[in-house]
Amino acid sequence: MEDFTTSTGQSQQPLSGQTPGKPGGQSLGIAALITAIVTFVIAVIPCVGIIAMIPGIIAIVLASIGLSQASRNNSPRGVLVAGLIIGVVATLISFSQIFVAGKIGDKFQKEWGGNIENVINDVQKNVLDELEDANVSIKINADGDSVEIKASAGKQDRHQELEELEKDNTGINDSLDKKK
Amino acid sequence: MTAWIRKNDSFSELIERFRREPYLQINLIFTGVILLVFAYSGFFSPVVDNYPVVCLHEKLTGEPCVSCGLSHSFSLIIRGRISEAYDWNIYGFRVFIFFAAQLLMRIVFSVFYIKYPDSGKQLITYDAAVSIMLFIVSFLPYIEWIIKQIDLS
Repeated sequence: MEDFTTSTGQSQQPLSGQTPGKPGGQSLGIAALITAIVTFVIAVIPCVGIIAMIPGIIAIVLASIGLSQASRNNSPRGVLVAGLIIGVVATLISFSQIFVAGKIGDKFQKEWGGNIENVINDVQKNVLDELEDANVSIKINADGDSVEIKASAGKQDRHQELEELEKDNTGINDSLDKKK
Repeated sequence: MTAWIRKNDSFSELIERFRREPYLQINLIFTGVILLVFAYSGFFSPVVDNYPVVCLHEKLTGEPCVSCGLSHSFSLIIRGRISEAYDWNIYGFRVFIFFAAQLLMRIVFSVFYIKYPDSGKQLITYDAAVSIMLFIVSFLPYIEWIIKQIDLS
């Protein structure tokens, strides 16, 4: 147990919020410094840098409370000031990570905006090309009779069909000029 | 008996110093934190791929960042598979060395601080200087990457 007896023999009680045997705010200073250093290390890792904002703010709060306690008790503030400075810098680095992520997101969105139209056009073209060469077959079964209709949607088949039809109708003049 | 009492006295004195000296407390807590980092790397397996921490940067932007694969890299280094660790994250090994060096420094500096109480301030200054330099050297690629991203945007 700590001895809080002064030279005059009077028993001195520790102040509220103050750990016995430690100057005011020192425990908070240690907590703030440790949190701030850990925050600093996390903040410079891009993967998890954004999370560092939370411990950064905690470090700043701890250091601020510790500083106010230390100023009240007139105790040393070295650890507290170090914790506050490192905490503020770490939080700023963490904020910059949000800024970086936002900017990269924006950049990609702009690039994607242009690319999306190209992708849609490509897909549309591919679908139409595939439909051009598609072979459609319809089979109907009714009372034991079955009928199969084969319809080729291919471009070449359609051309052939058209040519055949044109050959068959060569004797019929259907032009408007001749009718007049 | 007297030897036991003397030993017990020196132990309680040591505990008392730890309670009194913020530097020793900070060193002790950091040793615990670094050991936790190593325990995390050892506990989660690169084969099972059950890491709880995901890259927030990749989630937000859709693009992998320079520190992606760091957990895998640490786990592989802990298991002695250093060449594979390089494949996961090229800078993983230097960050791992930073943590290992810090663990060693916390222990060594604490011992020196207890043994030579008069040189306390000097030791803290050396510790801070070496730690800052080590930090910059180890995390420089990540810091550069962040600056580059800000510049590009």
